[in-house]
Amino acid sequence: MLDPSTMPALLGEFLARQQPDWRNVRVSSYEVMTGGYSRLLAKAVVEHDGGRQVLVLRGDPPADKILIHTDREQEWELLRVLGEHGIRTPRARHFDATGESLGTKALIIDFSESTSFLPHVAAGGSLEGLPERLADALASFHAIPIEALPRQLDRPTSWDAYLTTRIDEWRRTADAHVEDLPIMRFMAGWLDSHRPAPVPLTLMHGDFQSANLMLTADGHFEVLDWELASIGDPREDMGYFKAVAQIAPPDLLDDAGCEAFCARYRELTGMNELQLNPAVVAYFLILGVVGTVRRLLEGAADYARGTNRLMASVFNMNSVQFGQSVWLPTADALGPVMDQLAALARQAEGNLG
Amino acid sequence: MLTRPTTEQILRGIADELRDTVAPEVTSEPVKVLLGQIDQILRGQATKAAHEIAWMHEEADAISAVTGTDVGWPESLHLDDVITWYDGVSRVLSNALDDAFAAGDTARVAELKVLLDARSANEMRIVGALDLVGRG
Repeated sequence: MLDPSTMPALLGEFLARQQPDWRNVRVSSYEVMTGGYSRLLAKAVVEHDGGRQVLVLRGDPPADKILIHTDREQEWELLRVLGEHGIRTPRARHFDATGESLGTKALIIDFSESTSFLPHVAAGGSLEGLPERLADALASFHAIPIEALPRQLDRPTSWDAYLTTRIDEWRRTADAHVEDLPIMRFMAGWLDSHRPAPVPLTLMHGDFQSANLMLTADGHFEVLDWELASIGDPREDMGYFKAVAQIAPPDLLDDAGCEAFCARYRELTGMNELQLNPAVVAYFLILGVVGTVRRLLEGAADYARGTNRLMASVFNMNSVQFGQSVWLPTADALGPVMDQLAALARQAEGNLG
Repeated sequence: MLTRPTTEQILRGIADELRDTVAPEVTSEPVKVLLGQIDQILRGQATKAAHEIAWMHEEADAISAVTGTDVGWPESLHLDDVITWYDGVSRVLSNALDDAFAAGDTARVAELKVLLDARSANEMRIVGALDLVGRG
């Protein structure tokens, strides 16, 4: 994938080995795709005597062009689990685990014929009912039993331990950076002193945003790009979605949308109103971005040290600074509400006791 | 030393040329995305180059006043010396925040947070209008 001019031949040979029942395999089109910040993407049209397939390749860039480090083998295994559970996402077909055939470790998945969500919005497409469909999409993969997930995904011992680790990630990120980051330290302290009610841990997408959503012909969301998946608090995906929507509208979780979304998600999962409501989603707007923020800061630190030369690493600092400008006022507005929710939770525990 | 046109003017001029002269000639989508990112970076760095030394000093004065800490001065006004000093000043603020949260002192946290709001406001003057070029 590193040299697109060689790819039609390499891909054709690889697929002929993978699919011995395909005769006269030929790659009639191979186009490098944009849209993926972290991986090489390409669309290929493959023809053989038995038919025609449109496929997408997702491969690792060369070492000095790697923006974030993620595991293709984990992504491959997760995609297979998602397929087995009927999650709406393009099906994984093949995997070059060593890079010997395709020039780099790469997944081959189906090309989605659905409509990208952002172009749908840009073209004036309707948003009616989409907050509820967003809840459907999240609840679908949040419901996969943890024991069914790939072994590479870390299993936190408890929700408390998980949240502590997640909050500490803000401090660790600040400590590891090439300069001191007091806003990160503030956010860690604030998140720690305003913890929401616990919920069961689930699979998390980890980069759940509009750019990774497609709309199917029957109006459901299809979810792309699982490379940042992990096991954690499912509400992080919601907060992350809302965080990115502040930069790249529309925000399906705006005031009205978030109420409808929360109601639908509670209905599907059995969460209660203390566990999931718009204020809690806003809490996770902050907490849920830490993994991405850490990776972006690592990229900038590498650039500052001269160990990567990716302009995207510099560009992404704009997103971090924009994020900070959102987190700080959000903390001001949300603090009293989170305090009230904590008091109600204590009261509910007292009534039960 | 010739000081004009300023660094800010030159960086904006480069950004304008890339946008108006170079970009229309480019057909590759990944290169168009890269040029879009470079445009935003250059415009941000133009603002930063014009103000960063002053903003770091202004912020240090405020941190010193609120924390009651003598943050000293950089060894020189060369940028490397200023950012090394500013890093230490930031650490003073970080430590004060950690102490305030550990003590559960919400009033102190609020005083310190004003400093963060000011830092973030300067950062957003550098970022300008954020456009996630290339996404979606």
